[in-house]
Amino acid sequence: MRLIGRNSRGRTTGSPVRADYRALSHFGTGSHRGPGRVNCDGQLYTIEGIAAALLMIMTAYLVVNATSVYTAGDTHISDMQLEQMGSDALKIMDTPLVENEKSPLQEIVENPGSVNNATFGSMFLDLTNLKTNSGSDHIQYTANYTCRIHPGNEIASYPLSYSRNLTLGEHAVRVTKWVTVNKGAAAFCGTTNTERAVLVEVLMWRD
Amino acid sequence: MARLNDDAQWIILMGFLISFSFFFLAIVINQSTVVGQTTAESVIEFPKNDIRDISQTISGSVNLPFPSNETVNQDIVVIALNRKNAVVSYTIIQPAPPSDVHSHAVIHYNNGVTEYNENWTSL
Repeated sequence: MRLIGRNSRGRTTGSPVRADYRALSHFGTGSHRGPGRVNCDGQLYTIEGIAAALLMIMTAYLVVNATSVYTAGDTHISDMQLEQMGSDALKIMDTPLVENEKSPLQEIVENPGSVNNATFGSMFLDLTNLKTNSGSDHIQYTANYTCRIHPGNEIASYPLSYSRNLTLGEHAVRVTKWVTVNKGAAAFCGTTNTERAVLVEVLMWRD
Repeated sequence: MARLNDDAQWIILMGFLISFSFFFLAIVINQSTVVGQTTAESVIEFPKNDIRDISQTISGSVNLPFPSNETVNQDIVVIALNRKNAVVSYTIIQPAPPSDVHSHAVIHYNNGVTEYNENWTSL
C-alpha cells in the first residue's frame, strides 16, 4: 500500500479522480505525516484479492460438496411407489370375495401346497404387472410367511411362492401383510383349532 | 509495476453482485437434489402401511375366545419384533355391558423411529 502510494505520488500525470482521492486522503489524515499515512489507492488490488479468495473458497466448496450427493432422489421415489403398490396388492389379496369367508391370501397360507404356489403367483403378478395400456410391467417377487412356533418365542419362515430365484443382485423392496389363519383340526405351527397371526413377506423388484 | 487505474469500480461491483447471485442460485439448485432424496427416504421410512396393517389385525382379533386371543397376541408381539424390528404391545378390554357396550384395544407401536399409540373402540 505504501509503495503504491509513493509511486503514484511521484508521477506528474494522473487522472483527476485519483488526484481528488489523494487530496482527500491528505485532508483526512493530516495529522499523520510519514510512513503510516492512509490513502485510498490500491482499491482495485484489494477487490481483486477478495475475488480470488472467494473463487478459491467457492471451488473448494463445490468440489467437496459434489461427492456427498451420489444418489439421485429418483431411485427412492420409484422404490416408494413399488412398495406402495405391493402393499396394496397384498391388501387386496387379503380381502374376502364374499363376506365372512376366508380371503384368498388366508387360503393360500393355510394350504400352500407345493412350494411355488400358483394361485399366489397369478394373483400377485396380475395385480402388480397389468397396466391400463398394452403390455405389462416387469415386476418379479419372492414370497414367504413367518409364524411363531407355539409354545415359545421361536419363529419359522416357510417359502410360499416366487417368480424368479433371488440372486441377491436385485434392488428389491420388502412389503408385508399380517394374516390371521385358522386351519381347524390340522396342526399349524404347534397348535390346532385356534386362530394364528402370521406375517406374509414379499420381496419385489423390477427386472 | 502496472499503472494503477481505479476507474470503472462500479462495473466491477456490479460484476460482483451478479456473480454472487449466480453463486447462491447454484447453492439452491445443489440442495434441491438432496431435498428430493430425503423426502422420498422419509416417506419410505414412515411405516404407514405397517401401522394400518397391525391396527387392522389387532382390531379384528378382539372377539376371539380365551386361548386364541392369548396365542394371537403372542404371535403378533414375537413376529413384529423378529421380522419387523418393531416393539408392539396391546391390551384388549372386553365390554362391560351396562355401562359400556364397546370393545377397546389399546395399541402401542414403536420401531425406533416412529412411535404410534392408538385407543381403538369397536362400533
